[in-house]
Amino acid sequence: MKQHLGRQSGVQSVDVSLIDGKVEIVPKEDGSIDPPHLLKAVYDSGVSVAEMDVTAQGKVVRDSSGNLALNVSPNQSFLISPNDSSKELEPLANNQATVTIRGQLYKKPEGKKKTKPDTSAPLKLLILEIQRKD
Amino acid sequence: MNLRITLLFLLGLTVAPLSQAQIKHIEMRVEGMT
Repeated sequence: MKQHLGRQSGVQSVDVSLIDGKVEIVPKEDGSIDPPHLLKAVYDSGVSVAEMDVTAQGKVVRDSSGNLALNVSPNQSFLISPNDSSKELEPLANNQATVTIRGQLYKKPEGKKKTKPDTSAPLKLLILEIQRKD
Repeated sequence: MNLRITLLFLLGLTVAPLSQAQIKHIEMRVEGMT
């Protein structure tokens, strides 16, 4: 799995911990990493992703429907799931401020043993922690 | 000349904030790994 993930676009390095079942990925700085693609790559290597967390830096924007999103590269953004932390980001929408956040992009549905991640729908970012506002 | 400097400055303003934006780290918890 480590080799398989290491070959994916935008991946700088992969660290796998068998003891606690964690996979850590450091992306390249070119912004070409694609989290939904990584979910599929892990599934294809025979294991199931229970949870995917990301630390990302970007700008908070509001889309045409009024939903908040984090823009992490010119062509990649994630819709933000509303919660208490996301309320703190609302005043920053479209004002060019850069934020660094830690959030959950994927969580396996409860009760299912092995589930193929649904990558057809856009992944939503559940803010866990706002680390920095600039 | 001044026009070139102005255009470069404006380009810098546009590109610099985008270059700061990126995914820094990804962590996955996986099941079924041996």
